[in-house]
Amino acid sequence: MGLRALVESAGAGLRRRRWLWLGVLGALLVAWPIFIHEVFFAYIATLMLLYTIGAASLHLVLRTGHLSLCHAAFMGLGGYTSALLTTRLGWPFALAFLASGLVPAAVALVVGPILLRLRGVYFVLITFTLGEIVRLVLNEWKSLTGGADGIFRIPPPSPLLVDKRAYYYFALAMAAICVGVIARILSSQTGRYIDSIRESERLAQSSGVPILRFKVMIFAIACGFVGFQGSLLAHFITFVAPGSYTFSESLNLLVMNVIGGMGGLAGPLIGAAFLTALPEFLRGWVELQRVLYGVVLVLVMLFVPGGLIEIGRRLLSTGRS
Amino acid sequence: MSVLLEVRGVSKRFGAVQAIERLDFEVKQGEILGIIGPNGAGKTTAINLISGVIRPDSGRIALVGEDVTGMRPDRLVRLGVVRTFQATTIYQERTVRENVRRGAFTTLYPGFWPGFLGTGAARAAERRTEATIGELLGWLGLGEVAEAEARNLPYGYQKVLGLGMALAARPRLAMLDEPAAGLSHDEAAHVADVIRRTNADGVSLIVVDHNMRFITRLCHRIVVLHHGTELATGTPQEVTRDPRVIDAYLGTLHEPA
Repeated sequence: MGLRALVESAGAGLRRRRWLWLGVLGALLVAWPIFIHEVFFAYIATLMLLYTIGAASLHLVLRTGHLSLCHAAFMGLGGYTSALLTTRLGWPFALAFLASGLVPAAVALVVGPILLRLRGVYFVLITFTLGEIVRLVLNEWKSLTGGADGIFRIPPPSPLLVDKRAYYYFALAMAAICVGVIARILSSQTGRYIDSIRESERLAQSSGVPILRFKVMIFAIACGFVGFQGSLLAHFITFVAPGSYTFSESLNLLVMNVIGGMGGLAGPLIGAAFLTALPEFLRGWVELQRVLYGVVLVLVMLFVPGGLIEIGRRLLSTGRS
Repeated sequence: MSVLLEVRGVSKRFGAVQAIERLDFEVKQGEILGIIGPNGAGKTTAINLISGVIRPDSGRIALVGEDVTGMRPDRLVRLGVVRTFQATTIYQERTVRENVRRGAFTTLYPGFWPGFLGTGAARAAERRTEATIGELLGWLGLGEVAEAEARNLPYGYQKVLGLGMALAARPRLAMLDEPAAGLSHDEAAHVADVIRRTNADGVSLIVVDHNMRFITRLCHRIVVLHHGTELATGTPQEVTRDPRVIDAYLGTLHEPA
């Protein structure tokens, strides 16, 4: 009994400590622009925040045991939805933003029941194909999408958000909400049964879990969230083009998860921040940028196969002992 | 006694092999029905057919009169029909308690939104389920190892855990595929005890095994399968005295390997 009480209080302490860390992180994210005024930093930090939404949403799909290579296509659907509705139809941002989540989610609901029956490498291949189809449609349906040039002069969500630092705070709030919702899904009973499905479909099904319905639901939610990122990104950089939503962007979202660590939600967040910042800081060596990028990726995978989150864990455990 | 499950003229062919041929039997409310037969007789196929893992080519399966032929396994679980697996199919890297929790989907899962919002009803269901899981672990004899990782358990405990996960779904009918295979004498006795207590709790059971002694001691009635079809049905006494059974099944048992 005494032992159990000890274990339980340790668990509660760990949860308290997690909230404490989150508080510290939140305070840092809110406070740093007060001291550092460079717009470049606000620009990069905004990108980092927006990519945490996409990477975290892909984490949801990965947690069901499916490796999707078309996540950027859904980001594109969101971006184009928002861009078209605001520039062509003059919708207010708030409504266009909602649509930018609903359209990809609806598409995912239609294709999900077909795609998610496939497993392993077949799912990977079909999502790769789907991503290419979306890119082709964006490229070729010129009357609607503007073809390869894309859509320009997308207005900011509000005149107040023209300033990059203001947009940073907007992105911070939106990323906090999106990632918070994803974290809550994972910590709810739904998260428990997502893990069951990944670990053993047969067993989950024989406990009564409707596997395909769970997978489709999670896939649609994930695609909706990456659509939100697409919208926030489009209104931030003020243009969308098919070239932004290619296979390499899908791969980028996946690598964020791999580099950060796939065991928990912290992985993709760290991975998104790291991989968004990395190319920007390598710009000084333009010719070597891609090579250095590759070298860093290989080093991380070689020495911390558990992802960057593993480094933090190791530091914490050496600190304790 | 009223009939809980009816299997009528069910057949299943895999390529050239007729795995099940016009199988006919029923499970009465509150009974332990044994299905016995030599390897390859179609015992596991029968369970797979009833639990919806595979569809029969023909025939009909009904649960309290309702046609459930070819129904998906997860829907059947929600109607109260669960099964265990021959091998120790468990979530290896999770604790014993977490394994049982996952088995309790039908009572633990409140739906997406109630779970997401953590409504009062969802939390109440969680508390109730946690309490029943605690009790279940206790009388399965897994209380001591509840926080251990499942893969670190001895084989016998893993078999009992598989049983516990099925029972966590609070079934009306539980189908156990070789629950005592590979167990020591004491472990098998423990499993038999768990099965009897489950049955006393109002759960009907189908127990599949090829160990005649285990089945005759445990079951109220026995169906003997031979080459995918029913050879004999009756009480343990009737079945063990049936010359066809002795010839087809027990006879082979005494042949040198």
